[in-house]
Amino acid sequence: MSTNVITVYDINRVRPPKAPARDDTQDPHFVPAPCQVACPVGTDAPSYIGYIWEEKFAEAFEAITATNPFSSICGRVCDAPCEPACRRTESDGPLAIRNLKRYVMDKLGKDHHLPPVQVTRKESVGIVGAGPAGLTAAQDLAEAGFEVHVYEMMDKPGGMMVWGIPGFRLPPGIIEEDMQRLFNHCPGIKLHCGVALGKDVTLEDLKKKHAAVLLTIGSWWGKPMGIKGENNPNVVDGVGFLRRINAGERPTLPEKVIVVGGGDVAMDACRAALRMPGVKEVKVVYRRGPKEIPARKEELHQAIAENIEVIYNTQPVEVVSAGGKMALRCVETRLGAPGPDGRRKPETVPGSERDLDCGMVIMAVGQKAESAELDGKGLMAGDRIKTDWNSMRTDDPQVFAAGDGAFGGSTIVMAMMHGHRAAHYVKSHLDGISDPLPYRTPYRTRRVPAAQDINWEIFPRRDQTFNGLGANPSAFPEIETTYDDKTAKEEAARCYRCDAETGSSDYSVKTREDIFVMARTPTTDVRTQSAILQKRLAPKANPFPENHHASFDDLVLLPANLSRLVIDPYRDACNTATDIAGKVKLDIPVIAAGVDALPTEARAGLGMALANVGSAYLTREPLPHSKAPWLQLLEPGGIPNAGAVGQVYVLPRGFQSFKIEKQPGMITGLVASSADLEKAIPFALEHGLEMMVLDGSSGIGGQWPELGGYPDFSVLRDAMRIVRRMNREEDIDFVYFGGVRSGTDVAKLIGLGAKAGAIGMTMAMALGGEMGPGGLSFFGDRSPEERSDAAASIISAMSAEASIMARCTGKTDVRNIEPEDLRAITLASSRAFGVPLAGAKRGSVIEAAE
Amino acid sequence: MAKIDLSVTPVRDANELLRQFGAEGVDVEVLNPDARHHIGVGLTHPINVHIRGSAGYFCAGLTDGPRFTVDNNVGWGVGDNMLNGSIVVNGNASAIPGVAIRGAEIVVKGNIGSRAGQVMKAGTLLACGNANFMAGYMMYGGRLIILGHSGEKVGQDMTGGNIYVAGKLGEMGTDAMLTDLPANERDEILAFLDKYQIPFKGSFQKIVNAGKKLRYPKTEPRRRAIPFFESFADNAYWNAKVQEDIHVKSQIGRYRIRGYGAARPLPHISDIAFKKDILPAIGTDPDVLSKVKMDTEIGGRSGANPLKLSMPVMIAPMSYGALSKSAKLALAIASRLSGISENTGEGGMSKEQRQEAGQLIYQCLAGRLGWNIHDMQQANGLEIYISQGAKPGLGGQLMAKKVTPEIARIRGIPAGIDLRSPSRHPDVLGADDLVIKVEEFREATGYRIPVSVKLGAGRVRDDIKIAWKDGFDFVELDGMQGSTGAAGNEVLEFVGIPTLSAIQEARDALSEVGGLDMPIVLMGGIKDGIDAVKALALGAHAVALGTSAIIAGGCIACLQCHVGTCVTGIATQDPEHEKRYNVPVEAQNIHRFLESVRWQIAAITHALGYSDPHQVSRDDLVALTPEAAAITRLPYHPEYRERAQDLRKAS
Repeated sequence: MSTNVITVYDINRVRPPKAPARDDTQDPHFVPAPCQVACPVGTDAPSYIGYIWEEKFAEAFEAITATNPFSSICGRVCDAPCEPACRRTESDGPLAIRNLKRYVMDKLGKDHHLPPVQVTRKESVGIVGAGPAGLTAAQDLAEAGFEVHVYEMMDKPGGMMVWGIPGFRLPPGIIEEDMQRLFNHCPGIKLHCGVALGKDVTLEDLKKKHAAVLLTIGSWWGKPMGIKGENNPNVVDGVGFLRRINAGERPTLPEKVIVVGGGDVAMDACRAALRMPGVKEVKVVYRRGPKEIPARKEELHQAIAENIEVIYNTQPVEVVSAGGKMALRCVETRLGAPGPDGRRKPETVPGSERDLDCGMVIMAVGQKAESAELDGKGLMAGDRIKTDWNSMRTDDPQVFAAGDGAFGGSTIVMAMMHGHRAAHYVKSHLDGISDPLPYRTPYRTRRVPAAQDINWEIFPRRDQTFNGLGANPSAFPEIETTYDDKTAKEEAARCYRCDAETGSSDYSVKTREDIFVMARTPTTDVRTQSAILQKRLAPKANPFPENHHASFDDLVLLPANLSRLVIDPYRDACNTATDIAGKVKLDIPVIAAGVDALPTEARAGLGMALANVGSAYLTREPLPHSKAPWLQLLEPGGIPNAGAVGQVYVLPRGFQSFKIEKQPGMITGLVASSADLEKAIPFALEHGLEMMVLDGSSGIGGQWPELGGYPDFSVLRDAMRIVRRMNREEDIDFVYFGGVRSGTDVAKLIGLGAKAGAIGMTMAMALGGEMGPGGLSFFGDRSPEERSDAAASIISAMSAEASIMARCTGKTDVRNIEPEDLRAITLASSRAFGVPLAGAKRGSVIEAAE
Repeated sequence: MAKIDLSVTPVRDANELLRQFGAEGVDVEVLNPDARHHIGVGLTHPINVHIRGSAGYFCAGLTDGPRFTVDNNVGWGVGDNMLNGSIVVNGNASAIPGVAIRGAEIVVKGNIGSRAGQVMKAGTLLACGNANFMAGYMMYGGRLIILGHSGEKVGQDMTGGNIYVAGKLGEMGTDAMLTDLPANERDEILAFLDKYQIPFKGSFQKIVNAGKKLRYPKTEPRRRAIPFFESFADNAYWNAKVQEDIHVKSQIGRYRIRGYGAARPLPHISDIAFKKDILPAIGTDPDVLSKVKMDTEIGGRSGANPLKLSMPVMIAPMSYGALSKSAKLALAIASRLSGISENTGEGGMSKEQRQEAGQLIYQCLAGRLGWNIHDMQQANGLEIYISQGAKPGLGGQLMAKKVTPEIARIRGIPAGIDLRSPSRHPDVLGADDLVIKVEEFREATGYRIPVSVKLGAGRVRDDIKIAWKDGFDFVELDGMQGSTGAAGNEVLEFVGIPTLSAIQEARDALSEVGGLDMPIVLMGGIKDGIDAVKALALGAHAVALGTSAIIAGGCIACLQCHVGTCVTGIATQDPEHEKRYNVPVEAQNIHRFLESVRWQIAAITHALGYSDPHQVSRDDLVALTPEAAAITRLPYHPEYRERAQDLRKAS
């Protein structure tokens, strides 16, 4: 796919290892993203968005469906509270999270199934109503091993998802997809359709049959407007109307239809009516203003785009009919004082009455639950089942309730949350826990890396293609078309990834989110202020615990400011040339070493590069056709090669004296690790060796010796101490090997007394080596020239870095970096390098423990 | 014509008099100048000033409009930063004549010293004699005419402008080249010479920028940041970040660039805890704000009008350029609403920013970008930038994408270059020069405005003693956790010392020399009221918030500030991106954040039993880590960490 992924041959090859999947409840870095928190079922949206960008659709599917059994449905009609919560809303519009879900579900929803779960518990649960609340609870309970019997009064499951939402928004096949997946996944759910509570089965029957009963009966019935004349046969209720339409009826309606209300039912009803034969004009009458209308903005805009007029601040007062003509008499309203729900109550404007002509009025002003059976048992409170939110129980201890029927009309995703919640308490009840832990929405992350698309900051939000009514409106063609691959990927790239940890330990996600909260909390809110402060007062973990290794990373260089003349690192020249023993001239204080395991293809590239950049190398075998100076690595008794500029002896089993023959005109050197120094340095000085390789790796002669463990930096410190003690500091040149990764490392090792640094792993990676679980791998996807360029580039970059470091310290020659220019920031590094801790008392070097 | 006799009138009084005469439109004759420094500094009226003798450093510096004549020689930096007007020097000029001029005409009849016209932006500098080395060093615009010999390294690292040499050409400077001289330009030069009645017969060679160093040759592949714990916290040597760095550098052949500050873990203020267990007391008093006095004055040490802060907090310097104008406005509004100071940073002062900020510190950098006398005079504080914690030793860096025509105009530089600001002041090569520079600023503003120094933390122990000796009114001390809009990754991570080490060294050094009367404003990773109180206890007089204020105003910490297409509209100059930033909303967010910081300072101070955060001292602190203990010499009490955890469990 062609988005703006960095596709040049370079970076595409970078495959840094991914962090292993971790359960984030244990992960101190994890802070759920605002979208995830806004989702009632805690959908891990950032992860599935990340997976979409990575084109890992099965993984995205898993993240989507983990807490949402109606993912295909939600991909089309969820009211998506995640989107207004999206941080990008404030800049150029929220991520189209719902559209992305739809994209994945369209791709995989049909034939991607979850593995079946078996019944393992002897108790069974009875659930009344196969809507989103009931079926979500059924799935959770089935996953917990219970057999679940679901009683549905209609002929198919789905509740309001089937009967409340017209097919142009939610085609029946999509509902079928989710149902298939759910029932295949949970064979323990037994569905009984056409069974109505109170008619075909009683509550007592259910209580006898099942260990617990969950009532998810929905709010199935439209509320009346409560105005004069509403008994007119041309006044119908919205949910009833939609039920007829969704059963497949396409009645011919009068030319003019008015829908009263501003919620989602009103939106579906007006758009369904518009598609019916005979209808020419549909108007929506809403008693508050455009700011207050509860309908999802997208649907409202689409309704308007379909030529439906929304009349705001208008309230019906009477249905007038005379002489076969009908009208809805309305008054204007304005916003008054806030009511108990916090919303400002509309008040009527006196004398503003007017009649709106129409042939039909659809009331969509709210729904209610009704059940004579439950009423008879005293379980109803008005138009809802009396339910305790904290336990999801009714007054009957064996009976639980959830969803719209218990808590009033809401959305599919809220109903699913109720289902999860109820299942939690039902399960606790069946487990014999009388005082269960309170339910909480789980927030999990799958730790997906952020999209690496260079245009993530630039892509605008893109809506799905809007099709409107289509050629044959009453056939209900879908109103929108799912994203194509490119659009989906670009939309996914836009994600800020609020869940992903930042690159800065100082401004971690936790810190950033705390600051966000501080920026949104007035100081009058003492409770929240106290909570933030208490949270911020909790100490952070020690960044340098006992097992923290010494590292080049924990050394810093001291810049020139006032007490030293500032050098301009962008302009003032800085010498990087150096030499080893006056004989091997180097343009940069970096040579290659420890690369004997390089594949043939990479060796050729390396040889070219080293000659071009003026470097040298230390290996057992010479590089093919390379003009770069070769320091031959050999064991005592090995045969000196005339093509080399010098011999460097390595003793794999530790240093012991050996007979050494210096070759005329060549330099002779010795490899020493920490344990060798006390003997090796006097030996080298005694025999007039010109150089010594200080080996901080597991053994420079081995295969990729730098992967053999953490570098031993103390070799540098100890070598310098010994030659200083012997007063022979100037008599031998040190080259340090082991864990050198950058020009900064080189600047530091020069400051510590070495003449140059040797790179192995760093060079190998530049030549195309990739780190994996099995070590370093190379691939045949680069030409020798590319490898050579890359090898030269890494050395140039290191040279530039080293010289920037030198100039920052006020030096114009890399060779002039001194111990005095360095400070340690950890005690471990202070000890290992013999460098004072920054800020500590002057001259106080933390000595090695021994 | 009025007369001022410098043998009886001190320069400070003389400059006040000059300004008065200027306002009245009276020309002035200056007698017995005796090569005194700062003659005529800060004059902004178009009067004639005749100096009867020689002038010292910065003659006619920081001026706009006057016409100076000097009978004899001038010292360093004649006409420093002059906007309009003219100077005719009948003798020779010492080093950096015409430094940072922005439109003036400077005519030196004799020879000129080295680095003539350094960082000049516009105007004309004419030497009738020879120039010394590096004439036109780092000039951004304008013209430099040398009738004699050019000297060595002419045009060294020039970015814009033209150099015309009539005499012998010395070695060409880096990134400078010869080019053809169009006839009209030659005519303009001759007209200029005529204007100043300078006879000339001869021809010119023209030198311009060769353009090889203005843009990085290869674009760095952009990568979204690897989570920090994968880079640092797992203690793995060849970690994901190291691998990515090597792979990227092996493609571009140079160091990587990014935004923000040191990203790896460092010893920090968070490794310090309060000795007293204050958790139970937090929130018990609903009205702590009225019980803690936080008003903080800073900068009055040498008689200037101090900044009056409603709490010991400032906004840290951040430039318009690195940040969008909208983001700077939001910061300015928030700082005013919270009664604290805002700081221009490197990029000059915008009108809107000046209007919105209650108290504004105006920063002077080595490149003198956007620097001018008028904005100095309407500032509430002047600040000499020596370095910053994020990249001490390195100049500012603004990638071409952000160097828009407007940014270029306000800074006085060519648009569309990868701007790498110089890191060394043209006129500050050592502590002694700095004293003279500070004095110039004071002269230019009538000693009314405090002058501070911004120091990136390095050899703090030595540097801060110099700052104290040079008489700064306060120091903004910036540890390596300080952030920036763009810098080389290696410098961000490995140059400078942590904020905690910096305050400790500063305090130690000032104690040694009896210099604790010089206030320190600590910055670099200060995130909340907790950090602020600890910083005060460790010896700071106030703190400055940068990154945290930006985050409060919508930054998501993606570390891509250098790219120029900031997704939130903060670190961008692209109008399409900037319009994403809602100034009133974000100003309120930042304001609420600052108020929350205030509340935290009050709550902690109160819980510790004090009525002013400045009363909190080292005696109230313990160190939680061995590093923090070794740095601060506070008692090491790791068990205080457990105390907090036990409490959390209990609640």
